[in-house]
Amino acid sequence: MTTIVGIRTKEGVVLGSDRRASKGFFIGSKITQKITKIDDTLAVAIAGQLSDADYMVKLVKAERNLIELRRGFSVTVKESARLIANQAYTGLKNYQPYFIELLVGGVDQEGGHIFVADMSGAITDEEFASSGSGSPIAYGVLESIFHKDMTNEQAKEIATKAVAAAMERDPGSGNGIDVLTIPNLSLVVKERRR
Amino acid sequence: MADIGSSGVGNSRYPYYYGPEGRLLLVDSALEAVGRGSTTVGIKTSTFALISSHIKPTKPLVEPSEKIFAIDRHVGATGSGYIGDILQLIDEMRIAAQKYRFTYDSPIDIKSLARQLSSYLHDFTIYAVRPQAASIIITGLDPAGVQLYQVDPSGTYFSGSGFAIGQYSDTAIDTIQKEFTEDLTIAQAVQLSDRAIEKALGEKPLVERGLVTAKDATFKKMAVDS
Repeated sequence: MTTIVGIRTKEGVVLGSDRRASKGFFIGSKITQKITKIDDTLAVAIAGQLSDADYMVKLVKAERNLIELRRGFSVTVKESARLIANQAYTGLKNYQPYFIELLVGGVDQEGGHIFVADMSGAITDEEFASSGSGSPIAYGVLESIFHKDMTNEQAKEIATKAVAAAMERDPGSGNGIDVLTIPNLSLVVKERRR
Repeated sequence: MADIGSSGVGNSRYPYYYGPEGRLLLVDSALEAVGRGSTTVGIKTSTFALISSHIKPTKPLVEPSEKIFAIDRHVGATGSGYIGDILQLIDEMRIAAQKYRFTYDSPIDIKSLARQLSSYLHDFTIYAVRPQAASIIITGLDPAGVQLYQVDPSGTYFSGSGFAIGQYSDTAIDTIQKEFTEDLTIAQAVQLSDRAIEKALGEKPLVERGLVTAKDATFKKMAVDS
């Protein structure tokens, strides 16, 4: 019960989500934040059990800090997605799975990345992705209007449209849209120099 | 003096237990090892804290080990003694800092960190194992203000405004005690710590420094000047 989308652009990544948290056929919350920043360069969009996702996010935060302190340079998006996948896989094999599907979006020296990490421990590297009960509808929108070489501003619009469409027809999604943009490191540095 | 393998007085057969004078031989030995480590000092006022450690010269092609460590965004530390032991303790602190964030969703306070390190070190004094031959100086900023702590191999920890550990630390702490004032500027503290280490060693030393200020909650290593 959720719609989340992630889009990779030439300028970075964009994540989008609805705000509904369902408790069966009841709307548990209308103001749920499903996009969580891990730091200024990485964020995840959450589908599934919020508690499991929260725990996973805290774990990645701690591990990323620790790795960066130890080795002296930051952790890539791919490494962070792998960290999540390893934890999910361990959980699955121990019969205590994390009931989550995360869109891991972030930027590093290579540019923007969107990874999908699910409860099986699988990760896939995507140009755009969606998850949650509204994802078939969101994918319909994304497949028809996604194109390469988008700006973040254009991707933001497409992400909003995809989530909005899903909210129209999926009863598990609704109550408003959140969008987060993470610009490439090169863009951030340029802006700071000015 | 107690001494391992001698005639059998006291607990010389059990060097990890109390000696005849009620001292722990292994802990004393660890402190002895720290006393041979590189001269390392810490100075704190209410507005900032500075830690500074002497870098011993190495072979021309070998890079000297890092001596000032970031523990978390708001915490830094340095140490004196066996570098392998120091590195191990630094890692323990980094893990403790992240675990605290994980559990409480907030940055660790410096006293809790010192307390945890103390507890870790204390464990090595009650079993038949080798205590860690390293003293650590921790600095950081928390809601209670700028903090400076020293933790010893015995598990003892102190909070204070000036510390010196390692070789000639007596001379170094003397220098700091004589010239310390609460209204020291950062530049003056840098000079004072340099002088303290220089006086102890009798030569112009290469030092590494770290700084935390009350204004900026991030611990930063300072650029190494020769």
